[in-house]
Amino acid sequence: MTPKNNILIGIIVGLVLIASYNIEANPLDFVEGFPNLGIILEEILVLENIVDNMKYVPSALLAMLETLQMAFIGTVVGVVIGLPFSMLAARNLNSKFVYAPIRILLAIVRTFPSILWAMLFVIVVGLGPFAGVLAIILYTIGFVTKLQFESIETIDSDPMDAVSSIGVSKFQLIRYVVIPEAASHLLGQMLYMFDYNVRQSSILGIVGAGGIGFFIIQYIKFFEYGKAAVYLFVVLIVVLGIEWISVKIRDKYIVKSQHGMEVTAK
Amino acid sequence: MTRANKTRDSGNETIQMTQNLSFSLISTNKIIQMSNVSTSYDSKNFALEKINLSIDRGTNYAIVGQSGSGKSTLLKLMNGMMVPSSGTIKIDYVSPNMNNKKFKKMMHTIGYIPQSLGLVKNITVLDNILIGALPRLNKIQSFFRKFPEHEVTEAKRIISLVGLTGKENRKAYMLSGGEKRRVAIARALMQKPTILLADEIVSELDHVTAKEIMNLIADAQKRMNLTAIMVHHDMQLALEYANRVAVIKEGHKILEIGVEGDTIVDFQTGDMTTEEIMEMHADDTKK
Repeated sequence: MTPKNNILIGIIVGLVLIASYNIEANPLDFVEGFPNLGIILEEILVLENIVDNMKYVPSALLAMLETLQMAFIGTVVGVVIGLPFSMLAARNLNSKFVYAPIRILLAIVRTFPSILWAMLFVIVVGLGPFAGVLAIILYTIGFVTKLQFESIETIDSDPMDAVSSIGVSKFQLIRYVVIPEAASHLLGQMLYMFDYNVRQSSILGIVGAGGIGFFIIQYIKFFEYGKAAVYLFVVLIVVLGIEWISVKIRDKYIVKSQHGMEVTAK
Repeated sequence: MTRANKTRDSGNETIQMTQNLSFSLISTNKIIQMSNVSTSYDSKNFALEKINLSIDRGTNYAIVGQSGSGKSTLLKLMNGMMVPSSGTIKIDYVSPNMNNKKFKKMMHTIGYIPQSLGLVKNITVLDNILIGALPRLNKIQSFFRKFPEHEVTEAKRIISLVGLTGKENRKAYMLSGGEKRRVAIARALMQKPTILLADEIVSELDHVTAKEIMNLIADAQKRMNLTAIMVHHDMQLALEYANRVAVIKEGHKILEIGVEGDTIVDFQTGDMTTEEIMEMHADDTKK
């Protein structure tokens, strides 16, 4: 370890301590408050409460279905709208005069987290899942386009050069070379985005933008932790299920095609 | 059977050949003309310097040279992917420039097979070949990927011609090296080309497969009266298939020879024998 590195580490540790002091982060508060978690768990894990709260499972599943629908619509519409922007933002397909302003626009869209977009759309279209869907669409456009144009820029330039030399149009080049070459990446990013949006949709209810989050925040506000736990448990199971399905799809269609392996339907 | 074996006999061969060559020198039927062409990738070193080339329509032309000699650059200048820093190039009397509308239209009929082949690996053999027909599609057909029936039929005919029948629906990445080359050739033929540019497409193949591919191109060249311009590493292969061979060394054309049967004529100096050319190339290869 060189003296230069020691100084750097010292600076980082110092900044962490100053920041912790500024935000009044006190580890003792955590230690003192930890037993409160036990009180909540006691309420959740008592057998009688569990049996009693099971009757909320159907309504939790319905709320989760709404969340899934929000995430699904948001992802599909966001990716479809985002794809042309990704093409315009890719450096290997456009001149600086095209990709630079598009990238700035996308960076602005990406700056706001979905919950802020949700607050804005609640004002515009009122409370409910539609505001959440709009928030997810906008967030997806900002986020997925960055992933997409970066992967478009990494595709092999040889097929593009070979097909360009035929004198095809830019649209034909994108339709017949760029999209097929980047397809496995684009599909992977769409799955990742859906996965991410399901989690995001679960909390948009906090600002009244629909989904299961609305119920969770309401039960927590009224100290009904047992009921909140049922809803959280449903979120956990569904998110894990989606993760499992994503892995299977990736293994079957994405990893194999990226490694030049034959993809066969079983 | 090679052309060398076919034309081994004639007593008047040299006279006839000289007449042919003289005719070609004064002929106006030049499909490619390069005059004092230089180009570079950076400001210091020339990739090609003062190249003069004149290629007749229907010629099977070979460009031979070592790695880094500028052969591939020469092809890229011919299909407009690169522009010369000085000198003039005319492809069928049109300057090869992407901004030139006339040339842009001409590009539809210039088949180009890069060394890497440039196949789209995630689509099928048939789809790769149909790319050659894209310039003939209108916007709606392009958007919906609706190729006219006659184009699909033509693609299937070419698939059979290049010996890939039964593999139409295979993804390109699943093919062998030789099969990939056949697809690249088929894609170029699908363009209904007048010029075919091929960059070292047999260099990584075994001898038998390389011969098959070369015969395939020679056959297509004769059948479609193509002007084939092929870059080679191997002088023997070039002499076997081409009517004319240009040798490029360190960005300069050092030799241009006409091949007729077993006889080779040096157009530049006229004082080199076949043995000397082969020896010179062998020396270059050793280096």
